[in-house]
Amino acid sequence: MTKKTRAKSGSSRSAHLTCERLVMEALYDFEEGTMPEAERAELERHLALCPPCVHFLDSYRATGKTLRALKPREIPPSLAQTVFQFVKARCGKKS
Amino acid sequence: MAQPDARRIAVSEESVNRVDDRVPSDLDLVRRIKAGDEHALEQMIERYHARVYSLSYGVLRNAEDAEESTQDTFLTLYRKIGTFDESKKFFSWFYRVALNQAYSRARRRRPGTTVPIREHLPRFLDDGRLAPSDWPDPSVAIEDEAVARELAARAGEFIGELPRTYRDVILMADVEEMPAAEIAEVLRISVPALKSRLHRARLHVRQRLAEVSRPAQRQAAS
Repeated sequence: MTKKTRAKSGSSRSAHLTCERLVMEALYDFEEGTMPEAERAELERHLALCPPCVHFLDSYRATGKTLRALKPREIPPSLAQTVFQFVKARCGKKS
Repeated sequence: MAQPDARRIAVSEESVNRVDDRVPSDLDLVRRIKAGDEHALEQMIERYHARVYSLSYGVLRNAEDAEESTQDTFLTLYRKIGTFDESKKFFSWFYRVALNQAYSRARRRRPGTTVPIREHLPRFLDDGRLAPSDWPDPSVAIEDEAVARELAARAGEFIGELPRTYRDVILMADVEEMPAAEIAEVLRISVPALKSRLHRARLHVRQRLAEVSRPAQRQAAS
């Protein structure tokens, strides 16, 4: 079956699930838990048979974990006071 | 003159205390700042300074710049508060102010180059199968704290090369962990548009991390 006929006959995302469709179209909802159960089951069947996609999913999840580590570890302790004094000094007449 | 009713006075004092104790809404503070109330400004800074700093840090990747950007953001808040439309949510207006401030500083510091989002996406074979990747599974590697820090630093660089429409969503969603509905409101886009941009941005960062990890892996193997 060609890509063209697949696109015409496939009424849902899971009808002909390829790695490309899984990664580019379905992965977000799969990870966010917002995917309909039938599609989720289809995707899990694909994953059970496709080690590259399992590898991809692992690295996608690891990327999320890495991104969360980008948050600053601490806020400068006197920042609020510094900001307040900064604004007051520049808007003294108003405040 | 009639004596005041003792019970009514007690009730009245209680209700005054209740009003004083309640946490003022953002809009309460906005109105008081507009009226020149210095204490309201202080409360607003106390409420939002950490989030503004964190968001600024995400854009600037530097503590000193993030601190200065936070100061400038609140200065802009104070100066422009009169233009805030009270029928809108304060935080979405204010986050846009914070983002614009941070990007403006970033442009002055290091005019960066962005790469088109299509350039670093996963590769597929003609039949739709994923091209085999030789990226080691970082879910194991990042258990090592030093490696995790290095990867995070590189991820920060890769976010920095994204076009701003993608950078904003990944910073707010995956670094700041803000809810999708709030991000959509700040950026004035639909939730489906947000999801699409976020997924592409994640794919970009994942792909770039994979690309820089491969040479290190080969070197370790040889």
